[in-house]
Amino acid sequence: MELLILVRSSKVKLDNRFLFTKRSLLLYLALAVFVLIVLIPFYWLMKAAVSTPDQLVKIPPIYFPEVGLNNFYELAKQIPLGNYIFNSLIFSTSTAIATVFFSFLAAYAFARIKFRGSALVLWALVVTMALPEIATIIPLYKMLGAVGLLDKLSGLIFVMTSALAPFTVWVFVPFIQQVPESMEEAAVIDGAKLWTILWKIFLPICKPAIVTMLIINFVNAWNNLLYPLAFSVTASSKCLSVAITEVFQAQVPWGKPWHLISALGVIMVIPVIILILSSQKAVVKGLTKGAVK
Amino acid sequence: MKALYGSKRKALTIFALLVTPVLLLRLATAAYPICRTIWLSMTDTHLFDSEHSFVGMENFRLLFTDPAFLMILSFSIVFIIISTILELVFGLLIASLLNCSFKGRFLARTINLIPWVIPTIVAAYAFQWLLDEQFGMFSHWISDIFDVSPAVLNTALGARITLILVNVWKNSSFMAIIFLAGLQGVPEEFYEAARVDGAGLVRRFFTITLPMLMPLMITMGMYFLIWQLANFDLVYGLTRGGPGIATTILPLNVYHEGLIFFKFGYGSAVSVILMLIVSALGLFGMLQFKKWSY
Repeated sequence: MELLILVRSSKVKLDNRFLFTKRSLLLYLALAVFVLIVLIPFYWLMKAAVSTPDQLVKIPPIYFPEVGLNNFYELAKQIPLGNYIFNSLIFSTSTAIATVFFSFLAAYAFARIKFRGSALVLWALVVTMALPEIATIIPLYKMLGAVGLLDKLSGLIFVMTSALAPFTVWVFVPFIQQVPESMEEAAVIDGAKLWTILWKIFLPICKPAIVTMLIINFVNAWNNLLYPLAFSVTASSKCLSVAITEVFQAQVPWGKPWHLISALGVIMVIPVIILILSSQKAVVKGLTKGAVK
Repeated sequence: MKALYGSKRKALTIFALLVTPVLLLRLATAAYPICRTIWLSMTDTHLFDSEHSFVGMENFRLLFTDPAFLMILSFSIVFIIISTILELVFGLLIASLLNCSFKGRFLARTINLIPWVIPTIVAAYAFQWLLDEQFGMFSHWISDIFDVSPAVLNTALGARITLILVNVWKNSSFMAIIFLAGLQGVPEEFYEAARVDGAGLVRRFFTITLPMLMPLMITMGMYFLIWQLANFDLVYGLTRGGPGIATTILPLNVYHEGLIFFKFGYGSAVSVILMLIVSALGLFGMLQFKKWSY
């Protein structure tokens, strides 16, 4: 609490003249602690990914190792890395596109066509967001098995798209509602088809929200562990998240193969970090819009 | 809507056309599996037995007389409550920190996103690696500073505390993003008026900031309670529920019973309990939210 108060006060007082006052010094100290706590695990992972195994097992630990890419080559020799990366990319991209496409259609209907009960349908849809993924995993396992989608990327895309749809609809609805109805009225009177209206009018207007949700859904699918872990059996449908749990099972003379686990971890982390950081503002805006209002 | 699409009938047709794909998806992978889970929970279905029979509440009776399950249930509740409280506090602290004006604020806000975006399984392994008994950096510090064994994950209490702290590390940043947006929504005039009235920093925090953020804190608190109850990846990656079952929470229990031991009936019963808690929390949250949002 004390820190909070200090921080609040420094917001008022801080300008260049006061850069080295006691309060701003405390602010920078708090910031430094925060940044360190956030970055240490990330650094430790990166470090292990680029150092040789014998440097990893030095006591006391080496903080600045010689940098090399050997671990990545070794990793690629032990597991079908290219295959897993390809699967992860297909899974995440397809899920993101499918979710955004279907959710956008539904969101347009919920935002524009009101009748008795339509709000209830939307509510029922959004409420399923709270459903724990794991709670339905057993029937889903049996169901995917019954229709021959177990151990298939298409099966994973199917369940993941469904899992992400409620949140995506929830974000899109207020966004579409903000667009004045006059935008499409003229087009409807001119006899434009629904498809034309969505494609020519709403796609360009809603581009920011669409891009945001494409990114968020991609990251969600990329990071998902449960579905691939439960439904993937062979390398044909395994994603990076399952691959890392398998590399983790391995044993080496000094315990776990931390150099390989870290290398794979870095491969998983880098794309999401680049994606999120390059679109930081849009993503945060998209996320907080619904929550804060 | 009539104005837009001519007749009511046409509007309804368009509605159905657009909404059907999403509804079908949800029916297939949410509505149907829920019903199925509830049904399975009242049977003794097992993957390798072709025959199964209806056993009523037997699975639930077994669960609630099993000390192991009661421990899992109670730790699940402790885990989400302590985690959520800490995340609310740290989220608010980080948001306040990032709301200050200082050089490099943009960079700091960007760094704040890192724990939230990295895959949970990777974060779990990174921390396990930091805590590696022999070669981990944290273990090294622990044995240096406290002169005790660095194997924190081998003791029940150590593993539990570690699990909660790592969870807080992973999720506080998301809380902070939301609170930051909330803080920016508090009108500056409120603070100025309070300052004119001579209210100190503490007064201003408790009379303006906290009440203004309260609806948001309740919503986020509820959301995090519910959502962390479904937390699977972190426990799976960090402790595998161990040592023993010390850090097992409900989702991991479902996974073990259902997809490792293939006791579909028994695992489904755990799922049903999980869903009941989620629904109860959700209902409570909605009522609270109504009370607080004026």
